[in-house]
Amino acid sequence: MKKSIKKILLLVVLLLVVAVSLAASPYGEREIRVDGSIAAAVEQASPGDILIIPEGVYRESGITLKTNRITLRGEPGAVIDGEGNGHILIIKADSVHIEGLTVRNTGLSHVRDYSAIRLEGAAHFRVNNNRLENNMFGIYVSRSAQGEVTGNRIAGGGARESNSGNGVHIFDSQKVKVSENHISLHRDGIYLEFATSVEITQNVAIDNMRYGLHYMFSRDSVYSGNEFRRNNAGVAVMYSRDVVMNDNIFADNLGPASYGILMKEISGSEVAGNRFENNTIALYSEGSSRVRIENNSFKQNGWAVKIWANSTDNVFSGNAFIDNTFDVATNSRQHYNTFAGNYWSNYDGYDLAGDGIGDVPHRPVRLYSIIVERNPVSLILHRSLFIDVLDLAERVMPALTPETLVDEKPLMKSPLP
Amino acid sequence: MKRVNQALLAVAMLFLAACEPGPKEIMIGQDECAYCRMTISDKPFASQLVSTTGKAWFFDSVECLAAYELDERVETDRIHSRWVPDFEAPDTWVNARAAHYLHSEELRSPMGLNLSAYGNNEQAEQNRQSYGGEIKAWRGVLELVNEAWLDGRRNVPATAE
Repeated sequence: MKKSIKKILLLVVLLLVVAVSLAASPYGEREIRVDGSIAAAVEQASPGDILIIPEGVYRESGITLKTNRITLRGEPGAVIDGEGNGHILIIKADSVHIEGLTVRNTGLSHVRDYSAIRLEGAAHFRVNNNRLENNMFGIYVSRSAQGEVTGNRIAGGGARESNSGNGVHIFDSQKVKVSENHISLHRDGIYLEFATSVEITQNVAIDNMRYGLHYMFSRDSVYSGNEFRRNNAGVAVMYSRDVVMNDNIFADNLGPASYGILMKEISGSEVAGNRFENNTIALYSEGSSRVRIENNSFKQNGWAVKIWANSTDNVFSGNAFIDNTFDVATNSRQHYNTFAGNYWSNYDGYDLAGDGIGDVPHRPVRLYSIIVERNPVSLILHRSLFIDVLDLAERVMPALTPETLVDEKPLMKSPLP
Repeated sequence: MKRVNQALLAVAMLFLAACEPGPKEIMIGQDECAYCRMTISDKPFASQLVSTTGKAWFFDSVECLAAYELDERVETDRIHSRWVPDFEAPDTWVNARAAHYLHSEELRSPMGLNLSAYGNNEQAEQNRQSYGGEIKAWRGVLELVNEAWLDGRRNVPATAE
């Protein structure tokens, strides 16, 4: 009896040893402390190595990773300083992880896109919890797939827009997750060009010089739960399709050409549950079609919605329009979009039926907004009695405002908390 | 009397010269592209179209300028001139019809058709050797934009040289 227990124990121990050695050898997580040059350590690394970078300032640039399955892990205080010499970390291999590093000072160029961390043809990458400071481009993802960019703090130099690049730049790539990053003082916070299936969640883009987020020629993407604040021109979604934009905050994007969202030539998309506050133009739509705009709150914007007549088949429902100077503005009497069941704080109808829906249809386009569209200087008449009388007369007998742009079922109470 | 007349003529000519419409300053980071609505932020690509009455439309890229003209957003007889920046000296305006263009994937423009403009052919050629691509004249630019963006639906004017 004792013998058999011993045998079993021996077997278990043997198995354990085999298992541990299997796990360790070919896929061994060899931890190597970098001593001196990171470039040299990267050169000598073999697949599976974890390079630990101790505290200190490493004055290096053009560090190129070509070996698969390498982790670069910075200990607190580990800084790579490019000293203005161009790209700093270039990743041309798969399954590379970069974490805990501070990377700074790429320098500027008018022909090259100098980047702190650049991924070229990389798959399964992870760039997590780094600090990127004073770089032209922060994280540049080019022709790569299936990666994640999470928890980084990215701040550009912010000096001159014409020479600064984007915080996170994704070009011709697929299946990238960008989440929980804080991005400021770059040209665009997050920029996508020819990207597919990108998920952008829980990021904060603030004080960027052009757009907080910028989509160009991209499709099948989601951005939700992000905050876009005080960017010079807001968020632009252009020439893209099937974009889901949910539960974001667009605030304080102020200026002559500033938007919460600028939508240009977008189709089949969704804008839902967002908060638009204190923007010059909260939502601008030109040449966009089949976009559902639902359950958003538009509060205290200059223009809540500016929708050009070449936008068609868009549906606005369940939104709350509260205290905007103009709720809806357009450039034509022709109109091919639907407004139904929204709440308008300046609705002056009544609900005798008591079903929560106003008995009188609401016309959200003020005559004054059309006058302002044609002659911007007339903004000076804002809040004058003259304009109130004009608006009232137009509401009673519409002559210039779009006849079909009517909410037949205006809500008596805001549907949103 | 003759001298007075000459002086008057000189003054008149000065005034006329001053009235000739020309390129205006583009506020980088403020002005919006008249074609694509993007905020203009890249000086080496920022272009403009000037009307006979001196009104200017600004564009963030050479391709947007070309598309605006092809789309006939301005009546052809109202166009006075088109201006593009020299890629290597972006403070210099070059008449778009006289400029040389490099179409190179390596020099990415804001709207993705990757056209950069040059005042002289040597510079264009030098950048072609550095970055690759193809050199085009204004007509070639119009043809490229017509094919790439407008499904070849527009007519490239025969006078576009």
